[in-house]
Amino acid sequence: MSLLEVRNLTKSFGGVRAVDDFSFGAEQGEIVGIIGPNGAGKTTAFNLITGVYPLDRGSILLEGKELAGKEQFEITRSGIGRTFQNIRLFKGLSVLENVMTAADPYSPYGLFSLFTLGAAFRRREREVRAAAMEYLALVGLEKYADEKPSNLPYGLQRKLEIARALATGPKVLLLDEPAAGLNPSEVREFIGLVGELRERFGFAVLVIEHRMEVIMTLCSRIYVLNFGKLLASGTPAEIRANHEVTEAYIGKEDASCSV
Amino acid sequence: MDYFVSTVIFTGIALIGVLGVYLITGLTGLFSLGQAAFMAIGGYVSAVLIRNYNVPVVPAVALAIVAAMLAALLVGLPTVRLRRDYISLVTLGFGEAIVALLNNSANITGGAMGISGIPQLTTLPVVLVSVVVCLALVILYKNSKYGRQCLALRSDELAAKSMGIDVYRLKLITFLFAGALTGYSGVLFGFYTTYLEPAAFNWIISAEWTIIVFVGGVNSLTGTVLATILLTWLPEFLRFASEWRVAIYCVIVLLIVNYRTAGIMGERELSPKTLRRLLGRTKEAPR
Amino acid sequence: MLVQNILNGISLGSVYALIAVGFALIFNVLKFSNFSQGGVMTVTAYAGYVASRYLSDRLDSLVLFAAVLAAAAVSGAVIAAAVERLAFRRLRRTKSEPVYYFISSITMGILLENLITIYASSNFYSYPRFFATSAVPLFGVNVAVTDMMMFALSIAALLALLFILHRTKIGLGIRAACFDVNTVQLMGMNPDFLVTTALMISGALGGVSGVFLGMNYTLYPQLGQMVVKGFVASVLGGLGSIHGAVIGAVLLGILEIFFISWVGAGWAPVFVFIVMLAFLLVRPRGIAGIIVQEKA
Ligand SMILES: Nc1ncnc2c1ncn2[C@@H]1O[C@H](COP(=O)(O)OP(=O)(O)OP(=O)(O)O)[C@@H](O)[C@H]1O
Ligand SMILES: [Mg+2]
Repeated sequence: MSLLEVRNLTKSFGGVRAVDDFSFGAEQGEIVGIIGPNGAGKTTAFNLITGVYPLDRGSILLEGKELAGKEQFEITRSGIGRTFQNIRLFKGLSVLENVMTAADPYSPYGLFSLFTLGAAFRRREREVRAAAMEYLALVGLEKYADEKPSNLPYGLQRKLEIARALATGPKVLLLDEPAAGLNPSEVREFIGLVGELRERFGFAVLVIEHRMEVIMTLCSRIYVLNFGKLLASGTPAEIRANHEVTEAYIGKEDASCSV
Repeated sequence: MDYFVSTVIFTGIALIGVLGVYLITGLTGLFSLGQAAFMAIGGYVSAVLIRNYNVPVVPAVALAIVAAMLAALLVGLPTVRLRRDYISLVTLGFGEAIVALLNNSANITGGAMGISGIPQLTTLPVVLVSVVVCLALVILYKNSKYGRQCLALRSDELAAKSMGIDVYRLKLITFLFAGALTGYSGVLFGFYTTYLEPAAFNWIISAEWTIIVFVGGVNSLTGTVLATILLTWLPEFLRFASEWRVAIYCVIVLLIVNYRTAGIMGERELSPKTLRRLLGRTKEAPR
Repeated sequence: MLVQNILNGISLGSVYALIAVGFALIFNVLKFSNFSQGGVMTVTAYAGYVASRYLSDRLDSLVLFAAVLAAAAVSGAVIAAAVERLAFRRLRRTKSEPVYYFISSITMGILLENLITIYASSNFYSYPRFFATSAVPLFGVNVAVTDMMMFALSIAALLALLFILHRTKIGLGIRAACFDVNTVQLMGMNPDFLVTTALMISGALGGVSGVFLGMNYTLYPQLGQMVVKGFVASVLGGLGSIHGAVIGAVLLGILEIFFISWVGAGWAPVFVFIVMLAFLLVRPRGIAGIIVQEKA
């Protein structure tokens, strides 16, 4: 049984079939790439997996358990963490609090413990703070802990998105164009980071990227979407050799740097 | 002196009510245009229990708070899942409905004539202790997982859900807490003025409390406290202006909202940490 | 009785519709519920009253009525333009979030109401009677002339609004602004001008409704707090939707009249609230059914 198994994922918006009968999977520790031209339905696939929209059809199994139809927060808690293509950090919170917030849903203390300054509350607050600091350190943001996210440069905001997703304790981590807007040296650093995180946490990673360097270096398996449909799948070498893919997508690589 | 004491008491009572609005609007980003109704519920329930049924004070107050929370549950349960705009609509309708109910159950509430002869139990020490306790609870709430998650959902509800936050439950808890605080402020109010009438609790009051929170600086609790003190005292200071009081008050609020949009305090808080930073900066000079 | 209630309800609802479309219009352009409309309504109701006092010796019934409405509409437009300058212009310059407009507009509403309180010092006034006959028979029931006038003129005002929205360049601009006001610059239109015009239209509609409310009830400074009826109708209608707001307003009017006749004016708000809540639960997208699904 795969860690994540997605079958026949389908979703239309009005007349547009954004995702059409898309099936794929990911094993523990595997990094899987999803590529495709703009508007191919990649982000929509992530939104379906994380429960942002209800599915028209299909099923999403995490460790054999059905996720389709559950609330967004339940899906996250059962082990799907994500970042957003168009960075969605919590503006009103500090960098550290952004990460703490993602760990907060697992805090067991209640109002009674809080209002009586109970041991459960104080211990858990310390733990969450320490854990959040650790996640920040992993992505190299510990010295910005008290900043507001909007004061960080773009590349660091992307890293903060990752640290925040880590704090949700994912079994599968969904990264939506995590390298968009990064400069080449940042991209190389980012590739190293994802590798390290995979080693350390052992989760599966699904990554959407237009930067081929990222996909080809990291992924053991790649799925190519075009107009919502699966166009091809295979190893980086197979995808590179696939003529159809080159035509639909890689040929336009230069123009696809979407920010 | 009496006059000064009464101003302090009214400010304290208003502050506890505004704290409820702070939780809903400042922390969670929702609008309640019916918050004053919870104040009415708190005031009326305690007054009726004591006056008509001879219930001792402490259980009467406790029951009044419970009643306000039940009302908050009644409004909150169906609405937290609705779009944000609808929450202000439903709370508004609820507030008007409560006022209508109070007006029309004359045999219990005295109807539009109001209810009088409530014992005067709210004294300066009672108000001061209440303010300290309520403020402490809200400070704790803000600086816990609850407050962080509320602020997160205020910034970006979709992202908050994606980080595993059960936003409906969180909104409901916040709503209940706010209802309890506002209900309690109603209890104190009735026990101070010894007289309650439905007209004192219409939507304009709720709107004014929301304005106070924004003048203070949306998610700054310090700002909310300052603004409450400032804006409840301001009309008193402006007594010389007699009938122009409210107008001047509005102009000042307009100036703040338009020219210092983030409010008096913005997002900043007065805390040991910021104090230290402030002092440290002056001592160590340019760093 | 039934017919009577429906007719009264429609006539009341048509007045609410004037307020509600003002909300919808401004929501479309600036994305907030413009509560300053309440203050505008109060001022215009008094402006209409002053005009009626001043003109009543010179003009007679219908002409007088028209002159009063015109005076109220013009003063509503002027005040709304002033409100835009004082309460919204700077927020637009600093690109503030809609909630600040909301706060600014409520404060502005309270300010206007208060200025009228100072002027009228809480006295109650009432409009003169404009029409010689007070009721005419229709569908077998007696319908008040004022009600008919309110209905007819509200419809006329709404049709005028639709004409502006769909047949003029500025109307096109207002509709285009629903995505972002500043995009109208691409159409060669000045966003400030557009926003001011939208507010003036809504102010003029508010002016007419102010007179109607003043005629229906007595004239008192808190009259403008009836603005919440427009707010309720526009939210139920689906924020920003003009026709949704009209339907919402008429339904609200009918509902209120029905409950008033069944359970009395006192209990009506309680029942209206229950129906409203039930409606939102059954149809959370509002009447117009605009469903905004957030993209992630
Ligand atoms: N909430 C929505 N409502 C309506 N249409 C949508 C929505 N979300 C996505 N779409 C449409 O679905 C299609 C797929 O969009 P999606 O964002 O999934 O593409 P993508 O592959 O992520 O593209 P990109 O590389 O530009 O990020 C597009 O045509 C888009 O307009
Ligand atoms: Mg995308």
